[in-house]
Amino acid sequence: MFKLNLKIALRNLWKNKTSSFINVIGLAIGLAACLMLLLYVTYELNFDKESKNSENVYTVMTNIPGDNGKVSNTFEGSTTALGPLLKEEIPEIKHLARMNYLKKALIAVGENSFKKLGKFAEPEILKLFDYQYIVGNAATAMQNPKSVILTESTAKVLFGSTQVLNRVVKYQDKEDLTVSAVIKDLPDNTSATLKFDYLMPWAFYEMVDASAKELNWGNFSFVTMALLDPNTDVTRVNEKIDKVVKTHLEQANQPYFLYPLSKLHLYGKFENGVNVGGDIEQIYLFVALAFGILMIACINFMNMATAKSEKRAKEVGIKKTIGANRVSLIMQFLTESMVLTFIAVIVAIALLEIFLPTFNNLLNIKLSIGYFSASSWMWILGIVFLTGLIAGSYPAFYLSAFNPIQTLKKRIKSGGILAINLRQVLVVGQFCFAIVLIISTMVIYRQIQFIKNRPMGIDVNALVEIPQDGELKTKFEVVKSQLLKSGAVKAVSQSSVGLSHRGQNFMDVKWEGMAKPLNTQLFNQVATTYDFIKTNGIKLKEGRDFSKNFASDSAGVLISATALKVFGYTNPIGKTVTIFDDKYTIVGVFDDYVWDSPYQSNNPVIVFFDPNRTGTITMRLNEANSIAQNIATITEITKQVNPAYPTDIKFLNSIYLEKYNSEKTLGILSNLFGGLAIFVSCLGLFGLVAYSAEQRTKEFGVRKVLGASVTNLMQLLSLSFVKMIVVAIIIAVPLSYYAMGKWLSKFEFHTEINWWIMLLAAFGTLAMALITVSFQAYKSAKANPVDALKYE
Amino acid sequence: MIKIENLEKVYKTEEIETTALNGINLHVKEGEFVSIMGPSGCGKSTLLNVMGLLDKPESGSYKFIETELLTLNDRERSNFRKRNMGFVFQNFNLIDELTVFENIELPLIYNKVPAGERKKLVNEIIGRMNIVNRSGHFPQQLSGGQQQRVAVARALVTKPKLVLADEPTGNLDSTHGNEVMELLCELNETGTTIVMVTHSSHDASFSNRIINLKDGHVISEKINKGRTEELI
Repeated sequence: MFKLNLKIALRNLWKNKTSSFINVIGLAIGLAACLMLLLYVTYELNFDKESKNSENVYTVMTNIPGDNGKVSNTFEGSTTALGPLLKEEIPEIKHLARMNYLKKALIAVGENSFKKLGKFAEPEILKLFDYQYIVGNAATAMQNPKSVILTESTAKVLFGSTQVLNRVVKYQDKEDLTVSAVIKDLPDNTSATLKFDYLMPWAFYEMVDASAKELNWGNFSFVTMALLDPNTDVTRVNEKIDKVVKTHLEQANQPYFLYPLSKLHLYGKFENGVNVGGDIEQIYLFVALAFGILMIACINFMNMATAKSEKRAKEVGIKKTIGANRVSLIMQFLTESMVLTFIAVIVAIALLEIFLPTFNNLLNIKLSIGYFSASSWMWILGIVFLTGLIAGSYPAFYLSAFNPIQTLKKRIKSGGILAINLRQVLVVGQFCFAIVLIISTMVIYRQIQFIKNRPMGIDVNALVEIPQDGELKTKFEVVKSQLLKSGAVKAVSQSSVGLSHRGQNFMDVKWEGMAKPLNTQLFNQVATTYDFIKTNGIKLKEGRDFSKNFASDSAGVLISATALKVFGYTNPIGKTVTIFDDKYTIVGVFDDYVWDSPYQSNNPVIVFFDPNRTGTITMRLNEANSIAQNIATITEITKQVNPAYPTDIKFLNSIYLEKYNSEKTLGILSNLFGGLAIFVSCLGLFGLVAYSAEQRTKEFGVRKVLGASVTNLMQLLSLSFVKMIVVAIIIAVPLSYYAMGKWLSKFEFHTEINWWIMLLAAFGTLAMALITVSFQAYKSAKANPVDALKYE
Repeated sequence: MIKIENLEKVYKTEEIETTALNGINLHVKEGEFVSIMGPSGCGKSTLLNVMGLLDKPESGSYKFIETELLTLNDRERSNFRKRNMGFVFQNFNLIDELTVFENIELPLIYNKVPAGERKKLVNEIIGRMNIVNRSGHFPQQLSGGQQQRVAVARALVTKPKLVLADEPTGNLDSTHGNEVMELLCELNETGTTIVMVTHSSHDASFSNRIINLKDGHVISEKINKGRTEELI
């Protein structure tokens, strides 16, 4: 029976080439889009899940107290003192490792030197994560303090090989470290705190950085991760941690808690210390998008199948008369849709292979189909089965229910009233989805433009920065004067952090006339020396920049306009503020500039004068020269002073562009898949019109003989379809207005939804549908009526 | 073999009720060849559909070798039909996507006959119907007469006790029509019971008995002497 069903299915596909083509292409696009998004979603869902223990690995989160006993901020970070205490007092913790955040630092073999992401961690990190060792092993890899574990690609870059056990690398142009192991590269979907290029023991960290050695409760620049016993109730462990910390440190008012590491990537948003989701919302959106497009393709299949019901009805009738029951007929129609889906998935995989590299480029990730993994085939087959079932079920139940007498006597009208209505409902649904996507794309695009056009308070064009490593710290003034003399730059300044940065927040500020006993507003800090305002193109509102003419500037600060608002000073210049128990005098007030997220107001900034806290050199290029020329000059000068380090010049405008990445991804995906949705919907519409035209050939012939013009006939054929699109527009416009309004309200700074966006989307869709319909309508209206009448 | 008593069938639409069968009584003996005639709309096709279990009457009784068929549910009706009945239609009703061989094989598949036996049975009947060289063709490649032979072959391949024919020559010219009628006669001679609906008195002349219907009633019955004597 299956063989026979298969035979009928294949012969039917071959016989109705147009509709088969539309169905296969539509389903293939739907499946390709679906598989692509699912690949992406799987990639995101598997963040930090590579290790077999990943379920039981937790990271320490810290809550920063705010007003009224609330939590003002929650972040992944902790102090050096916490780790040892937890290890001692909490028996549920099997292993615990303190580590730092990743930092780019110089690693070299002879002349071969690179800045790569280095990490320091306590040896138990090797028990938390099961790294794959190419040479060396977990037992010995971190025994020697002056040792280093390299990833495969780092080893290859440095040595050209992975067989480099006991070879020596130079760290930061100072310390020799012995290679104790080489491990396989970490997967791309490893979170940023863990994705190192080389790993060094904590014992070595204590040698190079004093802050790592002391047990401190105030510096949150560290990460603590722990492996818990399986089946541990983490809520109870967190209660214990709270108690333990409070007994050891009375003034501790930052409650710490353990949070599953593998959840942090997608569930990383906290409000008042409680998780409120995070990027998982985008994932839900993408899954909906994937299945939405697949659904559109399935609807095409259903519509074509039920539209052709008249042709199939006879077959159903005959089979029923000679003994087929409903189940066997349902099986036959399902076989047909399964065969079609199967052909479509082959095309889809081909499409995927063609477009995956572009998609990867757009989103800056590396996705690929795991042809050799059983699970990916299970997924693919599962989706094929599900698609075949969804697409085939309605036609199967609909067609198999035909009454044999009516079908054999040809008394059946195409579809019947109910079927036509359902078909219309489905077409309206398809176009609703497509229109909503188009409007969303336009709103997202406008929002990104709006934020990009928002004044940033700095002039990022022609601004570049380099990390202040090695001799660039000690010989900064020399470098500065050489750079200025060369004519490549117009201004140079050094600062503790780059213009765009994360963190560096603090709260220990007191000011004159402060109403509250304790400040709860987070401030951001930058340390610099001279020419900070000039170099960055920040607008000075009052006072002046730091100057060599005033020796007292070492105790001076510059503050941002919002900082001034917090302090409430009317004449701020010369007024003092107390920060970390030291008094500072305000010498200047500058306009706010964007240093964190451009979508919301950033914390107020205080700029200190401190030649010791350095980290970044920022330069304003001389625009009279070509950029390449300027860069070459800068490279030459820095290389001369600081030969051990590669010159890593970054353009501020591209750094600022990265701030739009998350919304850009959303924009790209909704653009891409919105276009596909429209295309597949139009494909379906084309099929329906073609079929309807074919059915009405005789009617058209008669009408033409009686005097109907081509326009009359085109109107006749197009009108019913255009009506459906209009209904779809009426439903989709308010729907997307509401949804996008809600999306925009997430942003503190956002654009408005303009009426012309709605109009453009509506008319665009209508025009597209009209072109689709009229193409076919024109063809049939132009046909010779004599042929049509002979046709029977 | 068939005992039909007081059969009533009414077609209802929103506006009107049409009585198609109005208390029909009909007995058919095993091995008989019965023609049903009458003007358009007299109910003859409805009667044939009820006999073929394709349609349900409002009331009455329909016994087939002592089994009451009107009380069966859909699944039982379908099973009974495929085991005991064969159909021949005016417009042949072959499945366009299947070859001659596959069309004839189809009822055997539904009757769950094993593949080897299916092949044997189909080849046998193809030989009998003289369409051996057409077995790989699709219906559109055959003449009307050939298509009707295939349809008859398909009706007979399960060796049904009853063959129901609905104007089997309606779409054929007289030469092909006669061929089909002769085929039915041969069948009947081998013991198959046939009930045929027809407009043509020529076709009806091949049967043993002619029943005339009008407005859902049996208005007359005529024994075809030449054929009946043969039967006796």
